[in-house]
Amino acid sequence: MPNKITIWKLRNNNPLRKSYIKNNIQLEEFEALIKITAEMSKYLYPYIKELLQSKEDPKNNSVIWDDFQKRFRELINERFNVNSMRVKKLLNQTENDEIIIKSLLTLSLCISNGGYKKLKNFLFNC
Amino acid sequence: MLQNSLSFHQSSVSLEIIGLPDYSNNENKGQISIISDWKLNIIGKPLIEGKIDHLGQIMDAFYIYSSLIITNEKPLYESKLIDIKADNLYIHNIVLKSSKPEVRPLIIKIGNSLLSDIINCFDQLNESSKVRIKKSRFFNSMPKKVIFPLNNKVKFFNFFLPPFISICSLVLFSSTLIYFFNPIENKEKKELINKK
Repeated sequence: MPNKITIWKLRNNNPLRKSYIKNNIQLEEFEALIKITAEMSKYLYPYIKELLQSKEDPKNNSVIWDDFQKRFRELINERFNVNSMRVKKLLNQTENDEIIIKSLLTLSLCISNGGYKKLKNFLFNC
Repeated sequence: MLQNSLSFHQSSVSLEIIGLPDYSNNENKGQISIISDWKLNIIGKPLIEGKIDHLGQIMDAFYIYSSLIITNEKPLYESKLIDIKADNLYIHNIVLKSSKPEVRPLIIKIGNSLLSDIINCFDQLNESSKVRIKKSRFFNSMPKKVIFPLNNKVKFFNFFLPPFISICSLVLFSSTLIYFFNPIENKEKKELINKK
């Protein structure tokens, strides 16, 4: 990744985004994105863990979870193509819990030094 | 002889490995190659301990189960030593079975946060240079058929896409020329030439 603009351009390869541009993503770029994601999850691990913990006890008043969901929905509404069925599913509060929990758990399992290999494996198997 | 002890910590979980270096292999004093005991300490839960054979099986169970959670809706892992089953999306039920018939199985309930802490402790052990352990088959496992699809796909497209597009554009371009071709007019022209 030579600079931040390259990462910004690569984000637009996501077909769910409003500003979707179909570029042929290279294998090296794909691996670099996975490494960045694994490093970010290492940095955010305490927050991810707290989010996961907040859903484990039903009696727990999960302010942190509600705050996260609110920010998540705002971000999706702002950046993603809300007419797409897959994006609609992400915004549906009854259905998106499983998607969010599984995504957070995947990230939390990939914080070791070789975590990016595990993340790559999970992505291929999904 | 004094045994070495190494601990791996991740938030609420710690894994302690006790053993000796293999002096016949000229290893350092701090190294552990012959593991005699291990202890998995989860805060607020009973202590789990055992021999080296059990550690390998338990690590495999956790690695397989963690990948099943991501891919399956109802993950379940069963073996002679350990069963792991999901109660719901957030809670997992672990049943540790003893080899002795009179000992009752130990049941532990853990959440997603503790599960990730346990897996991260095992990852630290696998990545540690101070402990020589037979790496779990499922640690960072990437089956051969999974490694190459993206690479192959990219090569396949790079190879076949340009000629395919050029053939398509040729067909499209030539099909537009049909509108300029009038067979009756052409026939008349030929007849005129013959008369001459």
